Amino acid sequence: MQNLIFLAEGTEPTEGGHAPENPLGFVPVEFALSLVTFGILLFLIWKYVAPRFEQTFAERTQAIEGGIAAAETKQAEADAKLAELEKQLGDARHEAARIREEAREQGAQIVAEMRETAQAESARIVEHGKAQIEAERQQAVTSLRAEVGALATGLAGRIVGESLEDEARQSRVVERFLTDLEASNGAASGSVN
Amino acid sequence: MDGNLNMIGYGLAAIGPGVGIGLIFAAYISGVARQPEAQGRLQSIAILGFALAEALAIIGIALAFVL
Amino acid sequence: MFGITMAESEGGEFLAPGPNSFDFSEVPLFHIGGLAVTKPMVQLLLGAVIVFVFFYAAARRATLVPGRLQFAGEAAYGMVRNSIGRDIIGSKDYAKFVPYLVTLFFFLLINNAFASIPAIQFPTFSRASMAYALAGLSWVIYNGVGIHKHGLLGYLKLQSVPSGVSPVMYPLLVPLEFFSNILVRPATLALRLFANMFAGHLLLILFSTGGLFLLEYGGIGYVAGPLAWVLAIAISFLELLVQFLQAYVFTLLNAMYISGALADEH
Repeated sequence: MQNLIFLAEGTEPTEGGHAPENPLGFVPVEFALSLVTFGILLFLIWKYVAPRFEQTFAERTQAIEGGIAAAETKQAEADAKLAELEKQLGDARHEAARIREEAREQGAQIVAEMRETAQAESARIVEHGKAQIEAERQQAVTSLRAEVGALATGLAGRIVGESLEDEARQSRVVERFLTDLEASNGAASGSVN
Repeated sequence: MDGNLNMIGYGLAAIGPGVGIGLIFAAYISGVARQPEAQGRLQSIAILGFALAEALAIIGIALAFVL
Repeated sequence: MFGITMAESEGGEFLAPGPNSFDFSEVPLFHIGGLAVTKPMVQLLLGAVIVFVFFYAAARRATLVPGRLQFAGEAAYGMVRNSIGRDIIGSKDYAKFVPYLVTLFFFLLINNAFASIPAIQFPTFSRASMAYALAGLSWVIYNGVGIHKHGLLGYLKLQSVPSGVSPVMYPLLVPLEFFSNILVRPATLALRLFANMFAGHLLLILFSTGGLFLLEYGGIGYVAGPLAWVLAIAISFLELLVQFLQAYVFTLLNAMYISGALADEH
């Protein structure tokens, strides 16, 4: 313990002059100073710092929420536009289908009409042909009848030697002959039938 | 050796709150381990319990100095 | 600096550091009029200045996209605002109390941190009177808030009459609740802060001066002295945690008391 005594020659501790202070003791100056300092600091923070931070927080929140709102509006717009486009597309599809249907009907109608026309035409042509043939046949019959008479009379005159130059007579003879011929023809055909 | 019997008494008195604070935080830790999402709620409750238990030790130290 | 002379003055016949290490009344830094200004008083003012300058600089040009300083200020402010104010008091009423809680937390934090800042190395609130002041203010605020909301009788009923207990127990419980909620709260608030700061600083002095003494003592002291200093360093880190925790707990309990005083029913 001699070292202790040696060391004790150093500076005397603070308790030298006065009675030891109770650490829980109340010191009015410190109490008041603490209160005042804290009060001033509180006032300054309350006045100058908190409002600005709160304002910044509020602005930031608003900015973010505004951004969200704007994005939502844009999204809604885009949705509306998309819906509109889809509707238009649907309409167009519908329209196209309608046109296609119409065209098909029209085509069918045209084909039918054409067919009808063609049939009519062909019938007309056939009719025309028939009529022509008939007319030509009549003509042929007529001319034949004339020529056959002349030929036959010429031939018969030559064979018989009798002049059949006289027109009237000649034609009378031919008529008679043809009539006979037709009659016999008719009888023959009648008997055949 | 210079000292005060009060301080020995305070040392003994501090055992109780010490055990109490230990129990509070043990319960808090196992609570958070079971349900980590409840940490926020448990924390304030644990600190309130800690403050109440510590109040005993604080009353002890005050009395140790005052008596 | 002053702290060093204090440590050496402890050196004597190994005078264990005690309450005297916290008594500056014999060694004031300077005098203003008849008033002796001591180190803790200067620290108190310095702490207030630091807190205000930091927040003022951070909030001065507040913009939507924060700079580095503003971001730090907002993070600090927002931490107390959201995790203490909004979560405890509730989103309806907390806005009014945010400046108070923020000021309280950072004022306490910087003053506690003075215990570990080189060349200052003294926790301001190990002066009990200063802690009394803040606790007294808290007491006035939470009781004032409660009385303002519920009226004096309603508030006393809220704080003293526990709900869900049969009236038979009232004679026992009502005085107890009153004692606990009205009288003990400010005392524990002040003493918790004071005692933690006081004990932490005392431990640090003990290990530092004890280490020095052991080294000078020689013999086994050549081993034990440095060991004590290593422990002192470890305790310094523990103290950093305690400093933060005490500021946090003080503010959190303030918020809880305010929230309790505002509660509609117990």
